[in-house]
Amino acid sequence: MDKHNPSKDLFVPVDRAGEDSEKISRPSLSFWQDSFIRLRKNVGAMIGLFVLLFIGFMAIFGPYMNEYDEFGQDLSRAKMPPKVEGLGWLGMDGTLTSVQTAATVEEAQEKALMRFNNQEEFITTTVLTEGGNGQEAEVEAVYDVYGAKNLEENFWFGTDGLGRDLWTRTWMGTRISLYIALLAAAIDMVIGVAYGGISAYYGGRVDNIMQRIIEVLVGIPNLVVVILMILILEPGILSITIALTITGWISMARIIRGQVLKLKNQEFVLASKTLGAQDNRVLRKHLVPNVLGLIIINTMFTIPSAIFFEAFLSFIGLGLPTPIASLGTLIDDGFMSLQIYPHILLFPAIIISLVMIAFNILADGLRDAFDPKMRE
Amino acid sequence: MKKTNWLLLVLALVLSMFLAACSGGGDTTEGEGGEGTETEESAEGSEGESTEGETSGDSEQVLNIMESAEIPTMDVSLATDAVAFQWLGSTMDGLYRLGENAEPQPGIAMDHTVSEDGLTWTFNLREDAVWSNGDPVTANDFVYAWQRAVNPDTGSEYGPYMMNGVIANATEVSAGDVPVEELGVTAVDDYTLEVQLAKPVPYFESLTTFGTFLPLHQGFVEEQGDQYALEAESLLSNGPFVMTEWNQGEGWTLSKNEDYWDAENVQLEEINVKVVKDTATGVNLYETDEVDRAGLSAEFVDQYRSSEDFRIEEEPVLFYIKMNQEGSEILGNVNARKAIQRVIDRQSMTDVILNNGSVPGVGDIPANFVFHPETGEDFREINGDLVELNVEEAQELWTTAKEELGIETAELNYLGGDTETSKKMDAYIKDQLEQLEGLTVNVQSVPFQERLDRDTNMDYELQNSGWGPDYIDPNTFLNMWVTDGGNNKTGYSSEEYDSMIERANNELAQEPVERFELFLEAEKLLIQEDAVLAPLFQRASAQLWKPYVKGVIVNPMGPDYNYKNAYIEKQ
Amino acid sequence: MTRYIIQRLVYMIITMFLIATFTFFLMKLLPGTPLSAADKLSEEQRQVVLEKYGLDEPVPVQYFNYMVNLTQGDLGISFQFDNREVTTIIMERIGPSMTLGIQAMVIGTILGMLLGLVSAIYHNGFLDYGSTFIAVIGKSIPSFVFAGMLQYFVGVKLGWFPVALWEGWEYTVLPTVALAIFPIAIAARFMRTEMLEVMGSDYITTAKAKGVNKFGVVFKHGLRNALIPLITVLGPLAIGLMTGTLVIENIFAVPGIGEQFVKAINTNDFPIIMGTTLLIAFLFIFIILVIDLLYGVIDPRIRLAEGE
Repeated sequence: MDKHNPSKDLFVPVDRAGEDSEKISRPSLSFWQDSFIRLRKNVGAMIGLFVLLFIGFMAIFGPYMNEYDEFGQDLSRAKMPPKVEGLGWLGMDGTLTSVQTAATVEEAQEKALMRFNNQEEFITTTVLTEGGNGQEAEVEAVYDVYGAKNLEENFWFGTDGLGRDLWTRTWMGTRISLYIALLAAAIDMVIGVAYGGISAYYGGRVDNIMQRIIEVLVGIPNLVVVILMILILEPGILSITIALTITGWISMARIIRGQVLKLKNQEFVLASKTLGAQDNRVLRKHLVPNVLGLIIINTMFTIPSAIFFEAFLSFIGLGLPTPIASLGTLIDDGFMSLQIYPHILLFPAIIISLVMIAFNILADGLRDAFDPKMRE
Repeated sequence: MKKTNWLLLVLALVLSMFLAACSGGGDTTEGEGGEGTETEESAEGSEGESTEGETSGDSEQVLNIMESAEIPTMDVSLATDAVAFQWLGSTMDGLYRLGENAEPQPGIAMDHTVSEDGLTWTFNLREDAVWSNGDPVTANDFVYAWQRAVNPDTGSEYGPYMMNGVIANATEVSAGDVPVEELGVTAVDDYTLEVQLAKPVPYFESLTTFGTFLPLHQGFVEEQGDQYALEAESLLSNGPFVMTEWNQGEGWTLSKNEDYWDAENVQLEEINVKVVKDTATGVNLYETDEVDRAGLSAEFVDQYRSSEDFRIEEEPVLFYIKMNQEGSEILGNVNARKAIQRVIDRQSMTDVILNNGSVPGVGDIPANFVFHPETGEDFREINGDLVELNVEEAQELWTTAKEELGIETAELNYLGGDTETSKKMDAYIKDQLEQLEGLTVNVQSVPFQERLDRDTNMDYELQNSGWGPDYIDPNTFLNMWVTDGGNNKTGYSSEEYDSMIERANNELAQEPVERFELFLEAEKLLIQEDAVLAPLFQRASAQLWKPYVKGVIVNPMGPDYNYKNAYIEKQ
Repeated sequence: MTRYIIQRLVYMIITMFLIATFTFFLMKLLPGTPLSAADKLSEEQRQVVLEKYGLDEPVPVQYFNYMVNLTQGDLGISFQFDNREVTTIIMERIGPSMTLGIQAMVIGTILGMLLGLVSAIYHNGFLDYGSTFIAVIGKSIPSFVFAGMLQYFVGVKLGWFPVALWEGWEYTVLPTVALAIFPIAIAARFMRTEMLEVMGSDYITTAKAKGVNKFGVVFKHGLRNALIPLITVLGPLAIGLMTGTLVIENIFAVPGIGEQFVKAINTNDFPIIMGTTLLIAFLFIFIILVIDLLYGVIDPRIRLAEGE
């Protein structure tokens, strides 16, 4: 054994670099820092955030970008199509187009001219189909509305049926609708989450009574309640808020309840309780974070519903008094002329869709960012 | 397409994404189903065409139309709305029927005589009229129907409304004070009907065309009991058509009544009616040739104005701003009211907002409604425009009013309508009225029932309101503004005006010319001097009619359309 | 379990009674009368007609009468459709609404869940954004706009399906698609979230490591996880769709109950308001009971009966 002297050559100095691998080289990050870093890496979420900021910016400053005000009417310039210099290729060149068919080209042409009040100098007609042989002739007429009305100024989003500038109205409406969106989200998060959470967590008699209250609230027809509110309340933001508060949170409460029922018997909750955590802490620190994904999604569904509920309230007289606009009421207006003046509907619809898509992608990003399991 | 409707294209793109998503697995089956129906439809189409080819000029006599609401009731005594009166009018004949130019045409009555004092009307009924169960239509059927209408046990609303103060004892009967037999209508014999009026009513002939005055088959009604008029089977008709099918929410079908006394002049074999409440849906159904008529909203008028199918139907329905003289000190001032009358640009309103052929309102009697008994001149033509747009004058009147009232600024609440167009109009009227210096207008939109309540309790300041005639006589419009008139509700009370209306309906009831001229004076007093109302517009409706539908008569009151002589003529 | 169900059925009767009572008194506070020509009648004439329908009595008396009739299954007679029984009207109108609601729910739920599954598997990929886009648009564009466009493009321009009316199976296609948007959007979003939750869990990693088919595992476990929120939302939504929606019924001229209900409220047709309210409330409470029972089936750890 003693002969067995290891030669010195067998020894190599330890590579100290190996220890470095055990070192935590990444900076120590808190939950929030970590979430934020992951959010920043999510391209989709960042685009969503940017779009939201942009729309928010436009809602604040958009109405002051041209000289028209929200209510200024002028029937002589009603239903003007949108026109933006340089965006003609997008169709925003201030013209209206109509295709007329008739037995002969001449007749079709005549009809096409009649369609735009025979203002021939501002109408260019193109023959699409010559007709003949039993086929009808098709003539397309392009009518330069701005030229015909001798307007120098451009309406970027066009005008509505009363000649009001839609650019200004749309951005003013965005303000209102964003407010409604935030309000609905807040009601949902505060009342809905708390109600559902408490109901499920305490269970038994508490749950029973709280759920019966929900059933009664849902059972009474909403429209009856709203009409009665019209009799008592002045139309305006306050009445919208109250109307939303009555039933706006119920779906959220039901979802949270379902999920908390499932979670409250799981091991981590039991562990926390065994360690002496108060109910309050269990709810806030363990249960709510675990249903965050659902809260976010359901809020995303509540927001558009609330925006259109506001439009409905305005229509029956409890919402904003005429002529104040919101995205919901603008869409209501625009729908009437969808087939012939689509611009009235299009811009508010695009904005509401953009807001919602951006919100959702951002919310998805947030959900991923907050989910510890997604950590790389 | 090119650049055409690029906006639509964007929407279509969004839509096609949905479709792509929705068709997913069920794509093939759905596609097949779709094709199946398509071939079926085109087969039907070509069949139709071939029959047309063979027997040209003798096209299939079927009319397909839409109604914007369900029929609430087919019970003559309970009917109150346009839809009910429309289809009662198509399945039943009263004493008279409104024909071309609102001239009463003989119905069950062949002619009538009026006594010297104008109180007794004797109608000679035709003997060849029968009910659809074969029984003859007799004077007793009228007696029964009219008694039933005012009988308090029936719960009729239009019975008392149309008959009280017109037929002798109607008011007392409807209050339950005297038995129904006391009602001033008797069957002298089976084919002679004698009516005692409460006072001379010069427009009684036009009243007899109204739905509430239709006859009822006593035996049948009593046999059916409370099931009467609930189904097509529990109905009897004596008019040009019979109802053969009635599915509450979907629609109903009428077929030609072969036993009708004037059946030889009825050409339509069938009328199919569908309940469609949405304007755009109606237009789309029209575009796909499902229906032969569609109503148009302002937006669609722009699109269809140049089409040969486009028609405008004038209606004798007036809209105006009611001004509550009691409810508002400002509106109690005649100059303020005159200012309001003059400041609204009605022409732009009818051209741009309504855009359906409606014309600016200029008085309290619509155009083409009543005509001078001697010269035949239109009431409206004679009195002319009683209000005109004049902003400067309005400002002056307004300044005077403010001085008289001792105020600098004013605030008025405006009770608006509750339809889509009225929203737009309310916004416009607010804007127009606020041209008056220092005036703020608050638009209040409330549900229909609430509006009625507020009107009844005079709980409003300005109100957008309308009125359609119940019979063809200036009285139907002018009578409501007498002191404490049931529908006055403006607080307007003028002894002079009251006495004019009183005289027209009593002393002058038998003197058509003087009476007419008195009404002319009364309207001037009402609108021009006392400025009780600010007229807005006379309604018209824009329609698409398939050109092959001919002979439909548009009525100013009662049933909107008379299909009795309508026919289909495809080339 | 049986005891729990019986207990819940008793609560159900109490809840229905409360709903009926609240609705009755609130409804009587609505402005106006059920008379259709109220504005044309004088005060005395109006009184005569109201008397005929028993509407002149004090509201508590009317309430008592109504409740007595209700226990005998008599829902009364409609005002807007003179003499027609409320039961008949509801029976006539509920059919089309039910058909559309069920079709839309079935199609919508299946498609939505598939969409959610695809989203989760291709997390943050093109397909994920695409399906988010569809779901969000489906919920952000109001249904009347979507339905209107569907009618115009598919019905009129392409002519694939009938534009409107109610005359056979092919007439249900467009309204079903228009309605299905809601369950699609909701199912897709909830499915996606719950899937993602599952996909991060250890057992999926294990399953994947064992080489089990990815789709199969994710679907099986993810679905189980997603079921609780899904039935919580989709249950009441199904009742909502099956009892009719005003907008879709109006646009596609469907003789359903949703439009009828709104009209009844607007015209103070009290018996119809009460009848429809009771029907919808009953279905709603019933579905909530079913959902509560299903919770226990899906996840045996949930025991609602406990602690009663």
